[in-house]
Amino acid sequence: MRLRDVLGFAAQALSGHRTRTWLTLLAVGLGSAAVVLLSALGEGARVYVQDQFAQLGTHLLIVLPGRNETTGGPPPLLGATARDLTLDDALAMGRARGVVRLAPLAVGSAPVAAGGLEREVNILGTTADFLAVRHLSMGQGDFLPAGDPSRGRGVAVLGKTLAKELFGNRQAVGEWVRIGQRRFRVIGILASSGQSLGDTLDDLAIIPVASAQALFNSPGLFRVVVETRDRETLRSAEAAVKDIVRARHEGEDDVTVITQDAMLATFDKILRALTLAVAGIAAISLAVAGVLIMNVMLVSVAQRTSEVGLLKALGAAQGQVAALFLAEALLLSAAGTLAGLALAVTVVAGFNAIYSSFQLVIPTWAPLAAAGVSLGAGVVFGLTPALRAARLDPVHALSGR
Amino acid sequence: MLAADFIAFTLGALRARRGRSLLTLLGIAIGIAAVVLLTAIGEGIHRFVLAEFTQFGSNLISIAPGKTSTFGLSGALVSNVRPLALADAQALARLSGITAVVPVVQGNAAVEATLAGGARTRRTMILGTGSQVPEVWQMRPAIGRFLPADEVGARPFAVLGSTLRHELFGATSPLGARIRIGGEPYRVIGVMEPKGEMLGFNLDDTVFIPVERALAMFNRNSLMEIDLLYAAGQAGGAVAERVRALLKLRHGSEDFTITTQDQVLDVLGSVLDVLTAAVGALGAISLVVGGIGILTIMTIAVQERRREIGLLRALGAPRGQILTLFLGEAVLLSSVGGLAGLAAGALGAMLIGAAVPALPTHIAWQFVLLAEATAALIGLGAGVLPALAAARLDPVEALRDE
Repeated sequence: MRLRDVLGFAAQALSGHRTRTWLTLLAVGLGSAAVVLLSALGEGARVYVQDQFAQLGTHLLIVLPGRNETTGGPPPLLGATARDLTLDDALAMGRARGVVRLAPLAVGSAPVAAGGLEREVNILGTTADFLAVRHLSMGQGDFLPAGDPSRGRGVAVLGKTLAKELFGNRQAVGEWVRIGQRRFRVIGILASSGQSLGDTLDDLAIIPVASAQALFNSPGLFRVVVETRDRETLRSAEAAVKDIVRARHEGEDDVTVITQDAMLATFDKILRALTLAVAGIAAISLAVAGVLIMNVMLVSVAQRTSEVGLLKALGAAQGQVAALFLAEALLLSAAGTLAGLALAVTVVAGFNAIYSSFQLVIPTWAPLAAAGVSLGAGVVFGLTPALRAARLDPVHALSGR
Repeated sequence: MLAADFIAFTLGALRARRGRSLLTLLGIAIGIAAVVLLTAIGEGIHRFVLAEFTQFGSNLISIAPGKTSTFGLSGALVSNVRPLALADAQALARLSGITAVVPVVQGNAAVEATLAGGARTRRTMILGTGSQVPEVWQMRPAIGRFLPADEVGARPFAVLGSTLRHELFGATSPLGARIRIGGEPYRVIGVMEPKGEMLGFNLDDTVFIPVERALAMFNRNSLMEIDLLYAAGQAGGAVAERVRALLKLRHGSEDFTITTQDQVLDVLGSVLDVLTAAVGALGAISLVVGGIGILTIMTIAVQERRREIGLLRALGAPRGQILTLFLGEAVLLSSVGGLAGLAAGALGAMLIGAAVPALPTHIAWQFVLLAEATAALIGLGAGVLPALAAARLDPVEALRDE
């Protein structure tokens, strides 16, 4: 029997029982669509996080004061230290080889007041280079001026939300605001940055780092963000920064340096595992669909006993009969998978057309895995009915019932 | 038709095609088992997280400097112009209904111990606290005692966490030993019981020192947090209101954030509930596919049993009865499959719980019941079309078949 005949025979058998064929296709299609859609959701989340990190710049070092010697423990993200990381430390890091620019950060919270309105927001003390390090853009006016970072000038850049809350639709640039007990002149408004990994830059005020240190009466920096020339210099720059701090801190290693890559890798790993888990759960439904294929094929074999008997009486070998029924099972799962994949692709395209901020991405392995699992289920679950048909005794089968 | 007859008829129909019925059951059972297992894992994690949070007791209120309404970290924790002062903590302690107060400053410094074999240094977390940590955080000293409640001037005493003690002193007793923290001399007066890790914070790799000394060491004027323990009979919300009123009076405006533990637990609980439900819904995809399986098999059954249906109708069985017969068959298939799935899922959850102790499982009975009800409903839904087809058969046509 030629391949074309086998397929033709199987297709005819399937089209003979429309309802059950459609239902089985529906089951397989749902299963494979679920696998592809859920993995697209996971992959979309991964790509989203990756983009967020890329926005921050991919070759950044973050230097925090303090160091924990707990292995595997978290770095000391918050909290004070006995020896501060000072502005001079930060400026000294700028001389390390491979460092392009850096931004010291002093963080705190203080009320910002203008014209009788007051709002308690986070205050960020930094330097002119922060704009380039964080890839931010200005909505109006200018960012902090370059110049001696140890001189605190009375200028402030407001986040978009803060400017709107304090000034409404009036012109904010050029106006005075009071932060804590000091007066600052607004020289610029940030363009909306949206949410970036949870911390919004829309509701804050940025002032020169020295002004922030005076405002909060604390010489310590919250952290220093260092941009290196490229990814290759990341490692050497990390070592250089540590050396500089050690030399300045009387031989003590009391800062933690985190690379952006390390954080990205952690997120990547978590999201990949999640995607796989979710796709795996969806694949259970493919197994259920496989059971259904087996059931339908068993019914099919039982109903076509006399047909099988005739085939065998005409000299069809056991292998041929088995191949016929196996082809039927495979045809069911293959057509179901194709329909499911088409459904998933349509849904993904529709979703991406409606939502622009979060895009679903179908990972390459997902359709392959879905097809593999459902074809595998077709073979595994189709085998028993096919063998049962092949082993039928022609005489008994023909005598029927 | 009598109920007994009805059941016998349905069971007979299912038993006549044993293999087919078993496979259909299997399909539903896999779906239900997936739902039960996944929600068991979700519920287990839920309980684990809640237990982590309540290990510090339940009647807690924490106050942080700075007003934040969102979940984002406030910069006020790092530095602020309106400090949450030690005097605030002392004032709160006098409020009625408050049984204990712990002011907190957290930092990082080197702890140095001089032993017979030489000096050992470890950089770790420093917690500046008051004397009432044992009551409020429910952790007790294993040996020695906790920081004393000094009326005036905080003496340079330190209490070690169990990991830190091990790292610095090994097996020797650290009681009475002199250590240097951030360069300043302290005397060890106690070691805490191991508390384990809580959400990444290792409270065992810590040293507790008087909060006044910590403020001086880190050159700060603001506490990072004040933790309050209120009397068991009190309503958390009312106590929080009194705290809010007092602090507003002292500060002139609301420049702090009050979080009661009930709020935290509520938020966490609802987030985790949503997660469990989402995971359960993922498992339910399989249930839907299983339902399609029932639909398929019932459709086939109706086609095969046209003569039987025709005979029943010719003998005077009303349409409603035929409908009930086939619906009953579908519901029986799905609910027995559901029960099998329940057993398999529960067994799997127990096995996972025994084999991987790190992954806590707890069977979520509300989801189990929901899953079983869904299975029965799926059977009903899947059975309707084939049963209607059966009931609509014309007896003459049906009997003439074949």
